[in-house]
Amino acid sequence: MQPSPVVLLAALALPFLGAAATPLVHRALGERTAYYAAAVAAVSFALLAGEYGVALAADPAASGVTFEWIPALGVSFTLYLDGLSLLIGFLASGVGVLVFTYSGGYMHGEPGQAKYYATLLAFMGSMLGVALAADLVALFVFWELTSVTSFLLIGHYQRTDSGRYAARKSMLITVSGGLFMLVGFLILAFVSGQSAELARTFTLVGTPDSLIANAEAVRAALESRGLLVPVIALVAVGAATKSAQIPFHIWLPNAMEAPTPVSAFLHSATMVKAGVYLVGRTRPLFLPEAAVPDWMLIVATLGLVSMTVTAILAVGATDIKELLAYSTASHLGLIVAGYGLATEYGAETGAFHILNHAVFKATLFMVAGIVAHEAGTRYMPEISGLRKELPITAGITAVAALGMAGVPPFNGFYSKELLFEATYEIAHTQGGLFWLYPAIAVFGSVFTFLYSIRFLMLFFGEKPDELHAHRPPLAMLAPPLLLAGIATYIGLGGIAGTFDVGVPVVGEFVAAVTASSALHAPAGFTYYVPTELSPYFLMSLLTIALGAAAYPFYDRFHRAVRRARALPVTSPNWYYDTALSGANGLSAATARVVHNGVFRRYAYTVLAAVCALALGGYVAASASLPAFTGIAVSAPLAVVLVTAVLGAVAVIRAPSHIAGVLTLSILGFMVAIFFVLSDAPDLALTQLVIETLVLVIFLLVLDKLPSWYGDLKRREVAADVLLSGTVGVTVFFTVLLSTGATAPDPIWRDIATLAPVPEEHGLWILEQGGGNNIVNVILVDFRAFDTLGEIAVVAMAALSVLTLVGMRGRGEDAGGDGPEEGGETA
Amino acid sequence: MTTERETTVIAKTVTRVVTPFIFVVAIALLFQGHNLPGGGFIAGVLTCTGFALVYVIYGRESLRTLLGAGSEDSGVLSGLTGTYATLFAAGLSVAVLGGLAAMALGYPFLTQAVLYLSDLGPVGALTAEGTGVGTLEVASAFVFDLGVYLVVVGGLLSILSVVGRE
Repeated sequence: MQPSPVVLLAALALPFLGAAATPLVHRALGERTAYYAAAVAAVSFALLAGEYGVALAADPAASGVTFEWIPALGVSFTLYLDGLSLLIGFLASGVGVLVFTYSGGYMHGEPGQAKYYATLLAFMGSMLGVALAADLVALFVFWELTSVTSFLLIGHYQRTDSGRYAARKSMLITVSGGLFMLVGFLILAFVSGQSAELARTFTLVGTPDSLIANAEAVRAALESRGLLVPVIALVAVGAATKSAQIPFHIWLPNAMEAPTPVSAFLHSATMVKAGVYLVGRTRPLFLPEAAVPDWMLIVATLGLVSMTVTAILAVGATDIKELLAYSTASHLGLIVAGYGLATEYGAETGAFHILNHAVFKATLFMVAGIVAHEAGTRYMPEISGLRKELPITAGITAVAALGMAGVPPFNGFYSKELLFEATYEIAHTQGGLFWLYPAIAVFGSVFTFLYSIRFLMLFFGEKPDELHAHRPPLAMLAPPLLLAGIATYIGLGGIAGTFDVGVPVVGEFVAAVTASSALHAPAGFTYYVPTELSPYFLMSLLTIALGAAAYPFYDRFHRAVRRARALPVTSPNWYYDTALSGANGLSAATARVVHNGVFRRYAYTVLAAVCALALGGYVAASASLPAFTGIAVSAPLAVVLVTAVLGAVAVIRAPSHIAGVLTLSILGFMVAIFFVLSDAPDLALTQLVIETLVLVIFLLVLDKLPSWYGDLKRREVAADVLLSGTVGVTVFFTVLLSTGATAPDPIWRDIATLAPVPEEHGLWILEQGGGNNIVNVILVDFRAFDTLGEIAVVAMAALSVLTLVGMRGRGEDAGGDGPEEGGETA
Repeated sequence: MTTERETTVIAKTVTRVVTPFIFVVAIALLFQGHNLPGGGFIAGVLTCTGFALVYVIYGRESLRTLLGAGSEDSGVLSGLTGTYATLFAAGLSVAVLGGLAAMALGYPFLTQAVLYLSDLGPVGALTAEGTGVGTLEVASAFVFDLGVYLVVVGGLLSILSVVGRE
């Protein structure tokens, strides 16, 4: 069964249209634009929710909605809605509604609101695009669109250095990661075209000949060429940059420069989820039914290491948003690790934790926004004991933070428990080094517990006297309250599960999300608080016990992490900054060499390069000159040609510029006469008129030049002669070769049969030119597209002259009038 | 050119006489291009030379009055240059829209058609034979050619005027 194409397109297009209309709406509504944007998000959410039943029953081989795009290349615009895309779509639109509402309170009195809401809506649309697109090309486009919109949102406060630094950093890292992913996609599509069973396709899922529907064949084709691991690695780089995995996690803490609603939306619930979405989406494609697949070694290891390292870094944070940023990277690592593990529980971990993490982390970001907004600081050592002044916020935080810590029965516990179960299963069946997986999982989770409790303690303990917090407005309180409600609901579902009572929606929804990335459709999904001491429950208890034991020493850990972070060699930031300043220096140096401002040298480089390429090309293609058959020109033609040559020689001897140009036109007019004598009136006409015009332009320009060349240096003259000679030789050979290489079946014969003036004049002649002048018919009919390109070039040349010459005075330094000073080359 | 010398009477008179002919020839070239030597490009360049002549002999101001362009200030697109820029923009649009018209009728982009008006009743009755002499040929390619003409005129004159203003 397919979802309705109209509904999907509408859900996807609406945010973009809404973004386009935002400037107008903002003019009318002012700050209430937030609620307009929330309404747009709500409609998208409702449209997607309407397809809930269809999405849960999606079939990867049939449920895609395809629109033709570039059929010759196997590119189609395919939309596909299953559990996973529905989850991401719900996060984008649903959290979108809450974030827009929250922004209505948070952004009160901030500048640049029209831009803010428009970009945020466009971002939401791009995120929906990532979720719905089942075509690799479309997926890539939306993927990069999220990077671009994120760039704009992170750089919202564009006048601050830190904002610009953060925006550029996230852009560089996520976009370049996306390019790696693109290479992976291209290899994938290319190889799919090479396998016997498949035509080349960019369609990932949703049609009978899509990649995932033929995962076995695609994988076999990749493996036989040794490309499976490279492709997994390339796609993993894309996912890791987007989802802030080690060592690309560094952009995420900086991205906290963005307004807090943006952090809650992009950097917890949606954009960073694009990476894990990609992992979950391609999992069935890359994961074979082997005991230790390459996929697991790459992805699960990446995820577990990221989870642990960033959890440790979060302990070193002093800013509450920085803590949440590292924590986000850590939880994304958990999801990636889940998807990486080649067991059924692995897919369940990924699926369930995407949901849980989005719920509790978006809540915590909004709480961070409330604290920053109402208490006026985000510096953690200054904040404690806020529960008296912000009681509701404290309650919300307790639910979310305990979920993040993985304490039963809060929501994060169940998905973390699934991770423990998955790592334990793998270690149990594989043995050996695989016992590191559960060990790392527990080790990392201890730090998760630590920082979660630290965050919660912002609301407990002694309140410093100078700290005062106001009550947040309803618009800022309602969204996190609702999210905390959802978190509680999920948590209660686990308790109900213990008594074999399912709660509606959660179980079947998570099962559908799992099915999107599992090899076999799971029977269903249940979760519950364990009642017996299974090994994985013991792992959970161990985590909590270790965490609780270590918490009194939190400050020591905190200082140790900060000391370790300060070492340049272990810090990816140091590598990033060094590479960036190196690249800046390199491009500045390149510009100095390439754009040295001397016109003479530009001309030399260009002309010499053209000659070298042309002559080299002839040699490489071992082109042979046509046989010389003697000269057969009539007497008048000979006179014309000799005059032309004499004119050319006279140019060199000309005593001044003006004389030189006038002599040069002798050459031009002789060529025109040559055309007349060769029965080419069109060419002759054009040549005559152009010659005249060029003469005028020359005279205008010459006025600006010094009247005499000055004393020439012998060496310069020699170089000029050499270059001119080379250009002459190149042109000579080019003319000889191209005229000698006339095709055996010249095109004029075709045209003569295609484009005669018809003897019987019909009313409409569509296939043919219908003109006597074959030159013009070719220009405006047969090759009209070429001509269109040429006149576009003429227009562009005019525009360039307008900008270059006309706006010269406006540049950064008006002193660089190189073209005139260097214009002494003849 | 920024020469201080006055232009001679002879040059002025000759220009005054010759320029209309240049423009008429240019337009003739544009119209006959489909069947005889000519076409949008040549006609465009010829028109430019006509303008260039007026410009060289009578100076910039006279050309501005001739074309009714606005006065020039420091802006790049003010005055004459602006008029020329509009001209080539318009030309490009004409050419593209002509091509799109074919698409609107269901043919590929830039498909051209020819209409021989002698075959239509009224025109056929006016002409003696029906074919050959007396047939009015209307080629849709003319629209495209007109676009080419405008782009060439606008583009070259923009370049000329910017260079000339220096």
